[in-house]
Amino acid sequence: MNLWRDIKGTVQPFWVTLRNMLRRPVTVRYPEQKRTPPPRYRARIVLTRDPDGGERCVACYLCSAACPVDCISMQAAEAPDGRRHAAWFRINFARCIYCGLCAEACPTLAIQMTPDFAFCKDEPLRLVYEKEDLLINDGGKDREYNFYRHAGIGVVNPRGGNDDEYGPVDVKSNLP
Amino acid sequence: MPKLTIDNQSVEVPDGTNVLEAAKRLGIVIPHFCYHEALGAVGACRLCAMKFEDGPVKGIQMACMVTAQEGMVVSTLDAATVEFRAHVIEWLMMNHPHDCPVCDEGGECQLQDMTVAGGHTLRRYRGLKRTYPNQQLGPFIEHEMNRCIQCYRCARTYQDYCGGEDFGVLGTNQRVYFGRFRDGRLESPFSGNLVDVCPTGVFTDKAFRFKSRYWDLEEAPSVCPHCGLGCATIPGGRYRELQRVRAGSNRQTNGFFICDRGRFGYGHAAHAARPRVPLVDGQEVDWTQALAAARARLDKIIAAHGPRSVALLGSSRAGLEANAQLRSLARLLGTDRVVFAAHAPRDWTARTLAAGLGAQASSLDDVRRSDCLLLIGADPLAEAPLLALAVRQAVRGGARAAIIDPRPVALPCATAHLPLAPWRLGQALAALGDNDWSRFEGQEAVFLEGVHEALAGARHPIVIGGADLLGPAGMRQLLELARRLSREDRPCGAMGVLSGPNSYGAALLAGDGPDFEELSNAMITGEVRALICLESDPLTQAADPAHAGLALARLDLLVALDSLPTKTLGHAQIILPTTVTAEGAGCFVNNEGRMQTFMRVLAPGLPLRETGGGGHPPRLFMADTPGAAPRPAWEILAGLQGRAASLAELRDALAREDVRFAGLTALAAESEGQRVADAGLALPATRVEDYVPRDGELALLVCEALFGSEETAFYSAPLDPVRPEPRLILHERDAGRLGVTPGEQVRLHSAVEEVVLPVEIRADSAPGVAILPRVRGSLVEAFVPGVGPQPCRINREVDHA
Amino acid sequence: MPEWLITLTLILVKLGLVFFVLLTGAAYLVLAERKLLGRMQLRYGPNRVGPFGLLQPLADAVKLLTKEDFIPAQADKFVFFVAPGLAAVTALLAFAVVPFSPPITLFGREVPMVVCDLNIGVLYFLGLSSLAVYGVALGGWASNSKYALLGGIRGLSQLISYELAMGLSLVPVVLMARSFSLTDIVLAQQSVPFALLNPLAFLIFLVSVAAESKRIPFDLPEAENELVAGFHTEYSGMRFGLFFVGEYINMMILGAMITVFFLGGWLGPWLPPIVWFLLKVLAVAFFFIWVRGTLPRLRYDQLMHFGWKVLIPLSLLNVVVTGAVLLWRQG
Repeated sequence: MNLWRDIKGTVQPFWVTLRNMLRRPVTVRYPEQKRTPPPRYRARIVLTRDPDGGERCVACYLCSAACPVDCISMQAAEAPDGRRHAAWFRINFARCIYCGLCAEACPTLAIQMTPDFAFCKDEPLRLVYEKEDLLINDGGKDREYNFYRHAGIGVVNPRGGNDDEYGPVDVKSNLP
Repeated sequence: MPKLTIDNQSVEVPDGTNVLEAAKRLGIVIPHFCYHEALGAVGACRLCAMKFEDGPVKGIQMACMVTAQEGMVVSTLDAATVEFRAHVIEWLMMNHPHDCPVCDEGGECQLQDMTVAGGHTLRRYRGLKRTYPNQQLGPFIEHEMNRCIQCYRCARTYQDYCGGEDFGVLGTNQRVYFGRFRDGRLESPFSGNLVDVCPTGVFTDKAFRFKSRYWDLEEAPSVCPHCGLGCATIPGGRYRELQRVRAGSNRQTNGFFICDRGRFGYGHAAHAARPRVPLVDGQEVDWTQALAAARARLDKIIAAHGPRSVALLGSSRAGLEANAQLRSLARLLGTDRVVFAAHAPRDWTARTLAAGLGAQASSLDDVRRSDCLLLIGADPLAEAPLLALAVRQAVRGGARAAIIDPRPVALPCATAHLPLAPWRLGQALAALGDNDWSRFEGQEAVFLEGVHEALAGARHPIVIGGADLLGPAGMRQLLELARRLSREDRPCGAMGVLSGPNSYGAALLAGDGPDFEELSNAMITGEVRALICLESDPLTQAADPAHAGLALARLDLLVALDSLPTKTLGHAQIILPTTVTAEGAGCFVNNEGRMQTFMRVLAPGLPLRETGGGGHPPRLFMADTPGAAPRPAWEILAGLQGRAASLAELRDALAREDVRFAGLTALAAESEGQRVADAGLALPATRVEDYVPRDGELALLVCEALFGSEETAFYSAPLDPVRPEPRLILHERDAGRLGVTPGEQVRLHSAVEEVVLPVEIRADSAPGVAILPRVRGSLVEAFVPGVGPQPCRINREVDHA
Repeated sequence: MPEWLITLTLILVKLGLVFFVLLTGAAYLVLAERKLLGRMQLRYGPNRVGPFGLLQPLADAVKLLTKEDFIPAQADKFVFFVAPGLAAVTALLAFAVVPFSPPITLFGREVPMVVCDLNIGVLYFLGLSSLAVYGVALGGWASNSKYALLGGIRGLSQLISYELAMGLSLVPVVLMARSFSLTDIVLAQQSVPFALLNPLAFLIFLVSVAAESKRIPFDLPEAENELVAGFHTEYSGMRFGLFFVGEYINMMILGAMITVFFLGGWLGPWLPPIVWFLLKVLAVAFFFIWVRGTLPRLRYDQLMHFGWKVLIPLSLLNVVVTGAVLLWRQG
């Protein structure tokens, strides 16, 4: 019967709420009780270095393109040794939503996320991190990877010097 | 008109269309690399495979290589062809260096798109990759051969389309290499097109290297401001800086390519000395104050000396709307002293052309399709480079091209050249019209007779004249010649090569008004006390810069509107900064009377790289963009008239007022543009005869140079590395008489200045003429082209010392 | 000391006491509500200000008092000023007739434990609860905001609709007590509280009172996910505070009214009368909080349907039946 169902549906929830009222809250009282976030937690972003100590970031703009809130900006430049790098690299953490799309887009594993989530400031400008604030002296999650050892344009190794390459061909030879 | 069926849709296409184009008409896009509308098909990339199920050919074929024929049944979605294309992509990627993050092509790379579209996501090849050495190709082009997929587009563009000879295909079998024989700057002035045509990142823009990604650029269709042809361009800007220009496409003008002057001339927008704020007596003020001050001072001068004491000077660098606003400002002030060019002879030549071109008007596309061309007094590579490409396409199509010019004009194609002294060009035009060779002898007569025969027998002849060498009288004769060569069944086209992007539009507005010479005389006599100067630099543009300098010095008030740090700004009491072409919208009328609009690409502002000093941008919150004060000239001029107007309103008003510009309101960007309507203006009266030297005297002829003399390109940093050194070109006979050897320094005595220059000796220039290409910013800056031959004297510097 | 002065002093002392208890009660009711709702949702609720968050009401008051008092440019300023006051004052005034204890003897004089024992207390209460509509309607209208206006309109029609059922459900009470005086009504429940004697009237009154107080599940005038904050969208600072406090005072008043009309007022064994009274009021308040934690908001058509098609006919029927039963027992 409909009326009976309605009355039951109105009265039963009172029991549920009353029961829950007497249970222990599940809240973690944050500043007193601290939890360690898992290692792949998505919080403060860093720029890592390759195993040879060079900057991994090649300023390819993929992270800034992937960023849904446009909080990453940079300017690419060419270093004297031919490496493409970021002349400046800026992340506005006041705008960042920690979605991790930048780290996912990064082709050189340069941009990575750390579990450090508690770094709020009372001044928005102090949340604008420049390259020197972001760059760390470590390889982060995949320490062995070096983009330039796989990209065949001869920046770290001489041209044709990567493991998966032949040496440069002699263009002027007629030999088959 | 064969009719064929593609993917169960039938389409009828003109004869000779290939199947790939036919599919494109149906909106079916098949991936392809090597096919390009302007370059044709070679079937090198093997990507446009389609299954031919019925008809004259059967099986999997390259669609670009098969001409559409009646009854063909073609499938693009056939499983076998899709798999075929996927395999092709996979093996094209075999040797690819996988360096997209550091490649400038990334984001606008056809190879990236096609790889994703073809579904190739997993690399199966485990072998070693082939690598190549790179070459240094000069200041414009960066070379990265490892990315090459051997589509041959570069070689076909550079060699076949542009006629460059120093770049091509080298090597055999697995070692096919696209480059020069040895390192060095690419010699062709069209080398920048390699960047556009290369479907991967083998050739990238060196000036744009690592600056921005395609997706971050603000782009909009625009018109090139660096010569009178009005090529379509697509400038791109980011962080308040114009960073590159790529070719747009307009089938009526440039087709698909542009020259390096147009491609790398954008640097003027970010020139460090560019006027950025309104200045009144050197004080920075805001716009309201600046306009009020300008208006108050003009009113004061008008009150004291009458309205005709104010003169206005427009320019071919400013758009049609801005020049029209200058005209209406003149009307409002009550003065008839409004001039639209600072160079009087060029002004009159342009007015002659604009008044008399009429039905003879020919577009660059007409030139490309022509079968007989006469270029007289025109050096396309220096004055309007894309014209040289158009002539080349005509010649490739079997046309004959003849050049009559005192300069050693060398086009990238086979032409016949008659070096004739500048004062005899008019005679040649008259002779060609009258079919009378009595004033010529020997080879010259034979040449002219041959040209006449060819023109008379051709189906689409076009005569092309350079404004600088012909002058108003010569231009009139050229138009007359075209009319006389026209027959009922077959018109003869005419084209004049003008210097500024809006010379034609400015000439239309000028009508039979005064010229700058009259204006500067009135300034010297004190009749004119105030001058409003719109994007014009009389001190470097006027036929007689020294006279213009005297005139400007006598003014009580000079109001200068400009986007470039010109010399004239130094004399101005009030400086109103304007936007450059890419920062404001407007319309240019090109040398055939074609109105084309350009759109705003980016807002004016001081480039971020300057405000940030190379590092990161300043860490502060600002409400105002630094350096954003420049406004479009039409807006400022409307403001001086006390109204605020939108571009659409100004265009409406102009179209209503002047029937020639009626098409302006319906003009869309990225269209082919629209010719101005013919209003049947009277030809202006021609003026004084040129100077003719006596026997044994040398005449000095100042002319344009490709990268040296165009005004806006002069302020562009990317062109600095290719700026020519000033030199004097002498015919070998004159050189022998003077006893100079090639490269020797000579002292040139002329009415303008006395300068010491190296000499280049040519056999193919006209004897009796010393040719001086103008190079702005060098010691020959004071020499202005377009003034006819002048008397001069030349000594060896050794003798002088 | 003249007689009138003593009477005046006593009235003022009672007034002060009632005011103090009511306002403090309202403030701590807010805290209790937040705490209880938190616990129902397995949270702690406010626990930062003072021990167990006990100073939270103080912090809230400080916050409300120091906040910017914002007045929309297009608002009708006078009405905008008056509306919150109206809401709070009508709620407060209703307590004048509530007896919270039997008269006590103080300094040899009998003192009635009610601010003013009107013989038409029920009508006074009904009149004031009708006036409470103005706070909502005027506040919503004066803000000149679409959300506020919609909230105001909703509040107006909701309060008017449920007032009918509320008034009608009190008729049997008056019939049974044979008096309009609240003290008499309490005394009439010496043997059995009316809630047991006439449970239908009790239920109708309970529901109508919930609707009158604009609380979940009847919070349509301020439905935050549709109307931002309804009639008080544009209010801030202490003006909002008045609306807010008004709502909780209203809750106490209605609790007191339910206690008086149906739960036997201060009557009860062992404990002193005033404690019984407070306990009953607090129990009703807890019930309202419990409802808020449990039931979702009604849809507007459901609200109107329930009010007009269910509650009013039922209460009319109840009046007739109660009257008939009373007549039958007399006869």
